[in-house]
Amino acid sequence: MAIIERPTDTPALAGAGAAVTPSSSYGNFRRPVQATGWKSWAFTVDHKKIGIMYGVVAMVFFFVGGIEALLIRAQLAQPNGTILSADKYNQMFTMHATTMVFLFVMPMAAAFANYMMPLQIGARDVAFPRLNALSLWLFVFGGIFINSSWILGGAADGGWFMYAPNSSVPFSPTNGVDFWTLGLLITGVASQVGAINLIVTALNMRAPGMKLMRMPIFTWMALVVQFLLLFSIPVITVALFLLMFQRNFGANFFSVEAGADPLLWQHLFWLFGHPEVYILVLPSFGIISEVLPTFSRKPLFGYPFVVFSGAAIGFVGFGVWAHHMFAAGLGPISVAVFSVATMAIAVPTGVKIINWTLTMWGGKLWFTTAMLFAIGLIVQFTIGGLSGVTHAVAPSDTQQTDTYYIVAHFHYVIFGGAVLGLFAGIYYWWPKVFGKMLSEKIGRWNFWLMIIGMNMTFGPMHILGLQGQPRRMYIWTGDRAGDGFFDLAFWNLVASIGSLVLGIGAFLFLVNVWVSRKNPPAPADPWDARSLEWLTTNPPKEHNFDRIPTVHTLDEFFHRKYEDVGEGDQHDYKQVATGAEVIELEEKYADAHIHLPSPSYWPMVLAISLPIIGYGVIFNTLLIVAGAAIAVLALFGWALEPPTADESEFDPPAPDGDQPSKELAVSV
Amino acid sequence: MNRRVRIAAAVGLAALVAGCAEDAPQDMFQPAGPNAQSIYDLSVPVFIIAGVIGVIVMVFIAIIVVKFRDRGQAIPDQVHGKPTLEIILTIIPALILIGVAIPTVGTIMALNDTSDTECVINVTGQQWWWEIDYPTQSGCGSGIDQPIITSGQMVIPIGTPVLVRGTSRDVIHSWWIPRLNGKRDMVPGRVHTNRIEADEPGIYAGQCTEFCGLSHANMRMEVIAMTPEDFEAWKLNQTKPYESPAEGTLAAKGEQTFISQCARCHQVNGLEDADGAPIVSRPDLSVYSGAAPNLTHLMTRNTFAGAAYNLLTPECRPKVWNAPSETVGAEYLKGVTPDCLNSVELREWLRNAPAKKPMYADPTKLEATDGLTRGMPNLALSEDQIDELVAYLLERH
Repeated sequence: MAIIERPTDTPALAGAGAAVTPSSSYGNFRRPVQATGWKSWAFTVDHKKIGIMYGVVAMVFFFVGGIEALLIRAQLAQPNGTILSADKYNQMFTMHATTMVFLFVMPMAAAFANYMMPLQIGARDVAFPRLNALSLWLFVFGGIFINSSWILGGAADGGWFMYAPNSSVPFSPTNGVDFWTLGLLITGVASQVGAINLIVTALNMRAPGMKLMRMPIFTWMALVVQFLLLFSIPVITVALFLLMFQRNFGANFFSVEAGADPLLWQHLFWLFGHPEVYILVLPSFGIISEVLPTFSRKPLFGYPFVVFSGAAIGFVGFGVWAHHMFAAGLGPISVAVFSVATMAIAVPTGVKIINWTLTMWGGKLWFTTAMLFAIGLIVQFTIGGLSGVTHAVAPSDTQQTDTYYIVAHFHYVIFGGAVLGLFAGIYYWWPKVFGKMLSEKIGRWNFWLMIIGMNMTFGPMHILGLQGQPRRMYIWTGDRAGDGFFDLAFWNLVASIGSLVLGIGAFLFLVNVWVSRKNPPAPADPWDARSLEWLTTNPPKEHNFDRIPTVHTLDEFFHRKYEDVGEGDQHDYKQVATGAEVIELEEKYADAHIHLPSPSYWPMVLAISLPIIGYGVIFNTLLIVAGAAIAVLALFGWALEPPTADESEFDPPAPDGDQPSKELAVSV
Repeated sequence: MNRRVRIAAAVGLAALVAGCAEDAPQDMFQPAGPNAQSIYDLSVPVFIIAGVIGVIVMVFIAIIVVKFRDRGQAIPDQVHGKPTLEIILTIIPALILIGVAIPTVGTIMALNDTSDTECVINVTGQQWWWEIDYPTQSGCGSGIDQPIITSGQMVIPIGTPVLVRGTSRDVIHSWWIPRLNGKRDMVPGRVHTNRIEADEPGIYAGQCTEFCGLSHANMRMEVIAMTPEDFEAWKLNQTKPYESPAEGTLAAKGEQTFISQCARCHQVNGLEDADGAPIVSRPDLSVYSGAAPNLTHLMTRNTFAGAAYNLLTPECRPKVWNAPSETVGAEYLKGVTPDCLNSVELREWLRNAPAKKPMYADPTKLEATDGLTRGMPNLALSEDQIDELVAYLLERH
């Protein structure tokens, strides 16, 4: 709020602030106002820098999770594999899923939402910039905390679903599950804080004229996701709290001998876990709903249908959780209800696929790498969606659940849906974020190897599953492999080779980043794009827009470049300005006084207190006290800190001391 | 490509798919009983519908990609949508799904009906094996007068609907014999049921399918369906009185070794100590789940240790497992004969069980379970003791 509510010219407020805040007495704790160097990143509250850091850290975890996946496939390439022990294998698949879901797809989507949402709605930052930094650092420290278990006695080994009572101490005596529980509590705070922040941003900070139904579709989908997070993260937080007390403080929430019902955990977990699936895929649906129109040179077909189907998916997504429990013994009425509800959610999902294909219909298709990833998503996600319908049929699901058929299904949904969409977004917005183009040539290799790799890896898993190979098994046996076309040995080997192809494909992305690092600056509007984030330079200035744009239509940027010169029903679009010219015009009429909040130490200090408390819960109560003390200190420091740094905190201070130098000098 | 080559290729592919292939034993598309059949009948049309829709979408996208690629055409009309088309395209999938939902609900209700079952068999999961017991009842053919307790392999008569009642002694396990029915989680503190019925004699493989910890992959089970006559023979054998090994044999030494080393946890019905008192095992004093497999008739089963390893040698196993349905019952009832005993793996097991099958049995790491093991510990038996035990166990028919 700091940005928009702060009056542009209020020396009185600055004076009053100096009187009531202790900032002048901080001494060495002066605010980190540097514009360059590591401090300018570590303590930034700029949504763009935070978005980039979210993305970079998520990418690191993508490759960590990928290596875990490769080890799993290496183990399963042959019968009775010996690369991993049973114990290590169980840790590996638990951490592969945990890493990919919580530490890659979710934060990568958060990276896009953070970076793009303010730009797409014509704002200068998110609503609560320091909370935004808190979200980032909680995610980073939470992710490191969970993964530190590898060197502190072993990682969690109960599967990402962590069913009770297998997660209790007698069945999982290492500290792995504690790291997992506490780490996810920490990253859960990050998601919850981020959700509130982005909801307020989208609802309150849109540029003049941007009605909700003129909001870019990615922002819409990101908004739906934030509501899903807002309502589902508390549920998993409750579950994780119960588990923490079960394991660390002698509680009996999941002790069957004390009368507990293990299905409690399943309901709590999946009441979070199913909305989570939509949390993973909806951002990517939003991304390709931007990419497809841009490279089809047409508006999104049925924009209101896509918006409302997204909202409907979000809503119905809370009513289908028990389809993960069709074999758990719920009774026929529950099973029937959830079976039908699950089929119902296929309708809005189908609507999206229809709208994407009809967006391309009649277009002028430009097959950039981003576009290839977007089309790849439609194709692959359709396969995953249809296999999903086959197990919405509950009796069929009692055969399919916990087999590789399910593994195939959700990898087509999450890799084919979420991850391909994220890569589409990376290729599409790379010039926006970094001001350089990625190599389209390597991009194509990146795309095709990933597509071939994923179909080689996850395609055969349909056969493996239908032939009865269960999931989560560190070995499979030749005795039960059959022979001929459906031979499990053959298809396991194909899947393992496919995983290598997929790994090489993903690695080519890093190669592309490296090779493209010295590319010349990207043009202002490389894709002839349509939405508001392109109405500024590449990369955007710290304050995003020289003047806050006024929005007249959906696809505002496109309509500033093209005008309909046709008559009557006869439409004829002629380019009246290039993107660069439109942006130049904005610079010409730049706002004179732009205020941005100053960087702050406190989000990072507060964020680091939680892992310290976490280590305390596991190892030593004194650490809990120390962590709590740091948290209290950080909260006070945060609360007493003004949004903008005092003049005395700049080095050197401005000579007259009353002109806030954080006001950006904008050449008019 | 000329026609002959194409025909040859098609025939070759068909032969590859159908001819020489033998599907995996847990294939869910080979139903062998009415429950699995009704699931199969429901799921195949859904697979076909899904496949057809999938192909339509793919072809449509392929057409678009070719037809509308950028060939220098003008900027297209900025169409924002056609509401009627959209509504129609929303209603069509909804109608298809209603068409799927109605038989689905019907099948859910039908599968839940277990009122016609004629035989009750209890299964109890624990890390990492299934105990199977037949309570006394008038059902199951001619009735069961004294309880039968076995593990890993469930023997049932064909054409008889069986009510499987299941629970667990530790974590959640899942009972799944794909060719007979879908899976059912067996949850500690709850009793869940699953109806199975086999049309033909045969060995139907299954596997625990709810992740249950370290050796989840090594927790398997089989259902052996046989004719009612064979089933009666099996029952009779399971309830015959205990016979001690002949004096002075290796097996007689093995009996003493068994009493001193194994009987703490493993029950052999009828085994008596020197005073003639029955020996009752107390697995609850050593094992966290409180149970260990009953070994009274070990050699009538052909797998051991959670059905993870074969008691039959690789040469003998196919004779039983691949036997035609007319003879599979008779082959199974022969049990494990000395020449067919897979003594290599049985010895490995006796030598160091946790090294063969991962279990929590390291005595220095049992703090969390108050010293109780999960699974069988390494008993540090001598090679002589192992010889004796193998000889003794070989007589457990």
